[in-house]
Amino acid sequence: MTRAGEAPHYLVERIRDRVAEQAHELGIHVEVCGDVVYLRGGVVSEERRREVEEAARAAAGGCTIRNEVSVIPAAVPDGEERLT
Amino acid sequence: MIRVAAVGDIHLGPDVAGQYRERLTGLADHADVLLVAGDLTRHGTLEEGRIVADELRDAPVPVIAVLGNHDYHSEAENEITEMLGEAGVTVLHSGGTMIDCGGVRLGVAGCKGFGGGFAGSSGDEFGEREMKAFIRHTRELSDGLYESLAALDDQGADLKVALTHYSPVKDTLTGEPLEIYPFLGSYLLAEAIDRAGADLAVHGHAHMGSEKGVTPNGVRVRNVALPVIKQAYAVYGLEKRDSSRPPAEAGRSAR
Repeated sequence: MTRAGEAPHYLVERIRDRVAEQAHELGIHVEVCGDVVYLRGGVVSEERRREVEEAARAAAGGCTIRNEVSVIPAAVPDGEERLT
Repeated sequence: MIRVAAVGDIHLGPDVAGQYRERLTGLADHADVLLVAGDLTRHGTLEEGRIVADELRDAPVPVIAVLGNHDYHSEAENEITEMLGEAGVTVLHSGGTMIDCGGVRLGVAGCKGFGGGFAGSSGDEFGEREMKAFIRHTRELSDGLYESLAALDDQGADLKVALTHYSPVKDTLTGEPLEIYPFLGSYLLAEAIDRAGADLAVHGHAHMGSEKGVTPNGVRVRNVALPVIKQAYAVYGLEKRDSSRPPAEAGRSAR
């Protein structure tokens, strides 16, 4: 059991649901190890990265949040793939 | 050589308004067309729809898009489609369009697509009405994709691209949890693409997937979700086919 008082198995899904509902990010990977919640994936702005963390914290029942979500730079590409 | 720029899952909103448009400034130097593989917005609101329309308005090359699941969230998909249309973006719900790229006719057929899973472990149109409706939605969109791709041949397309939000193959889902594959795509889309033939299939939706894959009949598939390609768009160069050679290995076959 985690600090949130439930098995990591269910806590992961509770956090994923909250991130989807509150931050509208569906592609965030959530992993719970003991009392630590790891968030991974990519979003397009620093503000969204914070929103994901806030949503996860709201559902994590006091577990520590490690926000490893990246902000995608989305630069202009410097090449192409030729499909022959 | 036609250069197809493609991106999906740009998820625009007020916090990033104006940023994507800046990255399209030199697009005409890199590409002949921009394909957008759905999830243009975060919540599918009218405000976000307006932002997307403004970002893509009068882009340097023709823009062809399909919507994604996020774009349906606020049930304003029709209004968003209208806004994009007014901004000059062609939105394909279940249809095709042809553009002339320096004398080469590029046909693009597209639809959102939907889930259900992949051959050997796919959901069936059986049982509860909710389950039947789920798979039927995928089947109807896949059938429409086949019809649209086949029609492009009749219209004299030199090259054909299939554009969807959901994935037609498992290859490009590598990196996603196996448990959610049925929510990321369906083999029915690949079957439609293989039957009708295509030179390239692009999709988005699978943020943690991988870029490159292929259908069972040899059509190259690219997952262009922004978190996967990690750039404003990916560019694929397509050579005009010998007119005697059908697209993909098998080309169109009887259904």
